[in-house]
Amino acid sequence: MRSAKWRPYFFVAPAIIVFLVFFIQPIFYMIYLSFHDWNFISPDKTFVGLGNFKDLLSDPMFLEVIRNTLMYTFFTVLFSISLALLMSIWLNKQGWMYSFVQGAVFSPHIISLVSIAMLWMWIMDADYGLLNWVLSLVGLEKVPWLTDPNTALSSLIIIAVWKNIGYFTLIIIAGLQSIPKHLYEAAALDRTPPWRRFAKITFPMLSPSLFFLTIIGILDSIKVFETISIITKGGPLNSTNTLVYYIYENGFIFFKIGYASAAGVILLVILSILTLLYFKVLSKRVHYQ
Amino acid sequence: MKKLSYLLMFTVMILVLAACGNSEATGSSGDSGSESEGNGPIEITYWYAWGDKIGENNENLVEQFNEMQDEIHVTAEFQGSYDELHSKTQAAFAAGNAPEVTQNEIASIETFAKSGMTQDLTAFVEEDADEIDMDDFNPGLMGNSYVDDKLYGLPYLRSTPIVYINKTMFEEKGIDPASIQTWEDFQSAAENLTDDEHVGISMPVDIWFYEAFVAQAGGEMVNENGEIAFNGEGGVEALNLWKEMVEAGTMRVPGGEPLQAADMARQDFATGRAGMYFSSTADLTLMLQLAEENGYELETIMFPENEQRSVPTGGANLVMTTGLDEEKQQAAWEFIKFMTAPEQTAYASEYTGYLPSRLSAVESDTMQELYEEKPQFKVAVDQLQYGNARPMIEGYPEVVKILIEEIQRLMLDPSLEAGDVLDQAAERSANVIK
Repeated sequence: MRSAKWRPYFFVAPAIIVFLVFFIQPIFYMIYLSFHDWNFISPDKTFVGLGNFKDLLSDPMFLEVIRNTLMYTFFTVLFSISLALLMSIWLNKQGWMYSFVQGAVFSPHIISLVSIAMLWMWIMDADYGLLNWVLSLVGLEKVPWLTDPNTALSSLIIIAVWKNIGYFTLIIIAGLQSIPKHLYEAAALDRTPPWRRFAKITFPMLSPSLFFLTIIGILDSIKVFETISIITKGGPLNSTNTLVYYIYENGFIFFKIGYASAAGVILLVILSILTLLYFKVLSKRVHYQ
Repeated sequence: MKKLSYLLMFTVMILVLAACGNSEATGSSGDSGSESEGNGPIEITYWYAWGDKIGENNENLVEQFNEMQDEIHVTAEFQGSYDELHSKTQAAFAAGNAPEVTQNEIASIETFAKSGMTQDLTAFVEEDADEIDMDDFNPGLMGNSYVDDKLYGLPYLRSTPIVYINKTMFEEKGIDPASIQTWEDFQSAAENLTDDEHVGISMPVDIWFYEAFVAQAGGEMVNENGEIAFNGEGGVEALNLWKEMVEAGTMRVPGGEPLQAADMARQDFATGRAGMYFSSTADLTLMLQLAEENGYELETIMFPENEQRSVPTGGANLVMTTGLDEEKQQAAWEFIKFMTAPEQTAYASEYTGYLPSRLSAVESDTMQELYEEKPQFKVAVDQLQYGNARPMIEGYPEVVKILIEEIQRLMLDPSLEAGDVLDQAAERSANVIK
């Protein structure tokens, strides 16, 4: 049965080839490009060694971009998960009203991000927007939302949270419903107060779901692109420029492929570190049944 | 990790496309000849920017060309804004399937020519000397056509910025639009228009308008050695004018992403909140329509003068991409010639408000009748004698981004000094153009 030896390799070959061609090769090509100066078209790529990285790290704009990305990611994930948690505890009940609201909060998740961006641009318009109109009805002052460097990033975070919350709620509700009832019954027998019940039963039993959402949330937020590209183009004053948009802008608007690739390598490093962190540190604290 | 694949997959797709594109080009160059000799027309693709009236105009002209003859068939494709058009062209070129004919926003002619993406057209013009009269192109529009004395693009949908005026509002305030000749006139008109509900002018921070004011103040954006010069005297004076007007509340500068800010300024003007508005002459048809819908009369005037009268020109030139076989080159050239001919330029001008790029087109009956009927159209043509080229140095798009950012900083915080802001922008830009 010698033929059996190659058989498994043969069967996994298509997957491996796709993986190599579409995932591994581009990573190496990007690393290769990051050491060069190239405008995408010219036949010769000039080798510049670590020059691109030096330029990047000494560029105050790039440091701002990193800061924006981290702020955006942190607050988006924080608010998405905590609001979704509240929402799911509230919605985890029987009845048509609750299922209707569940469906309603989920709907943003299935709308294309481009439409969401257009919609919020209109809602957040400083002069003619819905949000400011509502504020003016209540007698509050207008907020410049997307047009002021101090509020633009927060506005984008609001949009992201709005989009995430439905999906997150759904996952958490599924997590809540899979918690065995007998745990709560035992707690009731012991007369455990509600907050303790939450801290000792609900939260630990939910931790796999929350862990999953944290991963999804962070990875999703770090690569935010569509809303930035459509709504703010990284402005005003660079206040909403994030890593992936910065890479796009340098690569495909200014045609500095080497420089953009160097930023791509940095993104790769950040994502690798985060992924390692999850599995080394966070996963130990997660309670799996 | 998977998230990264967005960019990576894009890169690899380009590589794969490049590989396919190449093999196709080399493999089929032999039989593409026989194919077209057989029956079907030569297929070429044409990419254009902007939709609405401008898009319709492009589609209509291409249709006319396709109906007029049956040797060449052109497919027109919409590609978004100029920036989007440029980056798509560049990506498509790298992938080996660029359109045969495309548009270059005039400031990017040199970048495209120098990186070898666009075809030197000098030989085509010489060969067709009796058919195409280069002297008939308006000389004010030719400044962005040549790179190192070689012709790379022909003026197509070209424009200059003009001042749009809400005539009804001017009459209410007793101001004569024709009296606005100098910067002082402009400033005082804005002042008179401003009250609790109205503002003199609403203007996005736009590089084009800044270029106009800098030139009017006798300064330049980039000097003849290709060095940054906007932080010189002229540049500071221009920015100081804006700063003064913003501080006085006679000029409103909407913030935010550039296209969105431009939209907001347009809304201010369309709804009668702002008395004046700067925009491309290409918007004239649309603005006339908006004025009618909102019940006021629209007038257009030239930009005011300071040291001198001057406006940048804008819009797109038609270019041919490189790497085409001879047959496609001829087809592309025929198409470019058609699109820039006097008759088509008159059609496009009437349809959109873009400038007629041919002198003979201005004299044509179509245009003369139009000027008679709608004198607003004539201002841009008259203003063209003061038209100038735009800077073409490599890296200019990034310089523009930096400069706009710094000017926005000043607009948000008018206590800053114009000179400091411009120095800062110049310093940052110096790294870009090296």
